[in-house]
Amino acid sequence: MRTESLWVVAAWLLAASVTQPSRAQVTREVTDAAGRIVTLPSTVNRIADAWHANNAMVLMLGGADKLVATTVQAQRQPWLRKLYPRIDQVPAAFNAAGDLNVETLIGARPDVILMAYDGALPKWSDAVEAYHVPIVLMPNTSLEGLKTTARITGTVLGPREAEVAEDYIRYFDANIRRVRRETQRLAASQRPKVLHTSSAGILTVDGLDTVIDDWIKVAGGRNAADVVGNGRPVTLEQVAVWDPDLIIVGTAPNQQNRQAILEDPRWREIKAVKTGKVFVNPTGAYLWDRHSAEAALQVLWAAKTIHPELFSDLDIKRETINFYAKYFHHALTDEEYTSIVNATAP
Amino acid sequence: MRRLALFAMIIVPLAALYVSLFVGRFTVPPADVAGILASRLWPIARDWPASVETIVLQIRLPRAILAMFVGAGLSVSGAAFQGMFRNPLVSPDILGVTAASGFGAALALLLSRGAFELELIAFLFGISGVGLTYLLARTYRSTPVLMLVLSGVIVAAFFSALLSGVKYLADPDSKLPAITYWLLGSLNGSSMRTLGMALPPIILGGAGLMLVRWRLNVLSMGDAEARSLGVRTDRLKGIIIVCTTLITAAAVSVCGIIGWVGLVIPHFARMWVGPDHRALLPAACSIGATYLLLIDDVARTASASEIPLGILTAIVGAPFFAYLLRKTQGGWQ
Repeated sequence: MRTESLWVVAAWLLAASVTQPSRAQVTREVTDAAGRIVTLPSTVNRIADAWHANNAMVLMLGGADKLVATTVQAQRQPWLRKLYPRIDQVPAAFNAAGDLNVETLIGARPDVILMAYDGALPKWSDAVEAYHVPIVLMPNTSLEGLKTTARITGTVLGPREAEVAEDYIRYFDANIRRVRRETQRLAASQRPKVLHTSSAGILTVDGLDTVIDDWIKVAGGRNAADVVGNGRPVTLEQVAVWDPDLIIVGTAPNQQNRQAILEDPRWREIKAVKTGKVFVNPTGAYLWDRHSAEAALQVLWAAKTIHPELFSDLDIKRETINFYAKYFHHALTDEEYTSIVNATAP
Repeated sequence: MRRLALFAMIIVPLAALYVSLFVGRFTVPPADVAGILASRLWPIARDWPASVETIVLQIRLPRAILAMFVGAGLSVSGAAFQGMFRNPLVSPDILGVTAASGFGAALALLLSRGAFELELIAFLFGISGVGLTYLLARTYRSTPVLMLVLSGVIVAAFFSALLSGVKYLADPDSKLPAITYWLLGSLNGSSMRTLGMALPPIILGGAGLMLVRWRLNVLSMGDAEARSLGVRTDRLKGIIIVCTTLITAAAVSVCGIIGWVGLVIPHFARMWVGPDHRALLPAACSIGATYLLLIDDVARTASASEIPLGILTAIVGAPFFAYLLRKTQGGWQ
């Protein structure tokens, strides 16, 4: 073949790639947590969720069948897998550390990527936006932010899901109001000091400016840990200084971590241990205490755990069963309920 | 002078230990601390709350003792290795023990093992890592120093890669931070139980090094010279490697990776007592114990969050090393 004809072929190929029929689509706009106005296709059918906790939120809002990419971490949640077995088949484009495999993601052809906003765009945002896949960022440091996350997720998914989100937010608000009605008149001295631990192997606790601090306050407690942020390492002596009235053990393996606290002689003189107030945080489709859809239940559970005398009429079991029936369309058996409140895998 | 130095080597760490029991986030009246300690020896009336006694005896005391043994162990290992390798830049992790132990610990955290199993797995991995290095370095029934160093580099790189693999798989909400904090080094887990776990290997290894310390003088002249003086260099090297490995693996398994102590303290000791290993090793023990104890006092007291030890030892150690380097103009004795 002569050079000229090669050029012709090359030019033809180039022209073909440029004039590829562009999908004529109607678009809509969403404002995300970073204040960016993101343009989305009017109907979103394929979503990639890079935020572990948010996958359960998508399921709750009724949009899980639109998931085309998820995270390794979400696939490891025993209850999410039970409620939505297909999660195992969804490609995990995002690894546990929040990094992604661009080719897996692009191969999944998502219309939009959902993720948590931690103050900056992810380092891979340029690579993804080059493929015209919009990224929607959602807030992740407070209960208020969690509601916004539900609203944004619903809006992105579509009108039906947006309605569920509004319904969920009303339910969430009602729970917060119900708890606050009792707890808001508590004086500082009537608010027990609550310590929320967050990991095994080394002692770390959840401090101020976190969603955990938020629900502790709503539920009528005070965060014993006056450090800032999630998962801060602290010394046992510092815990003794705080001397919490109550300890809530978060993240797996909760039962094992609780047992370790109860058996360790160094914890013996801590007030919570002496009075037997060491609890395991429930875990469902995601960890209740984090940015999970079940945070609406966490508020009730925490209130009842911290102030059993104020909430004697509150039936956590009934609330939980109703919640899973309404939002996850799953009728919990007694054993399943026990597995959730005890944070043991189903 | 020598008697004075010996006296200082014993009394300074003990004084530091005593002072450390008074320091902490929890305000304990000094009289109570003294009372609690005295009540162990003499029957006296206890007029302090039980919580205070727990803090002094269950939290501060084990932690301080562990800090001293780990500091002493790492320093004496560093001093022995610097003599054996005839190189002032050597630290106890040169044969890959830290990387291997670190991997073992991270693996245990990934698999949600309890503290005891974590320490055991980390310890065993540390030992196996060095075993692998030794096997790799063994050529023609001898172990040349250069082969040991290169094999150490290979084994350390290999276990570092495995460690990264474990981190990659770890849950970012709980396990990844736990692994990260663990690797930064901390004595937060100290208890009477960890003392029982870590002290026997450290004491055993330390005693071994003390027994061969005069032979180190011969070895540090070089293999050929040592052999001509009748020292069985390969056997001696083997003993030194076994001893330092016991110490370092035990240290890493209970408190994570604490850098710079084993590198800097031997230099400091050498400035004080000179290069003779008979005096150098005890001096390194004493200074190392005091140094890590005081650094740990800062780590647990400076802020409400625990400051990882590895950060502090490097922040203090690096400038000090720079100062030494300037002072000696690179001419090491």
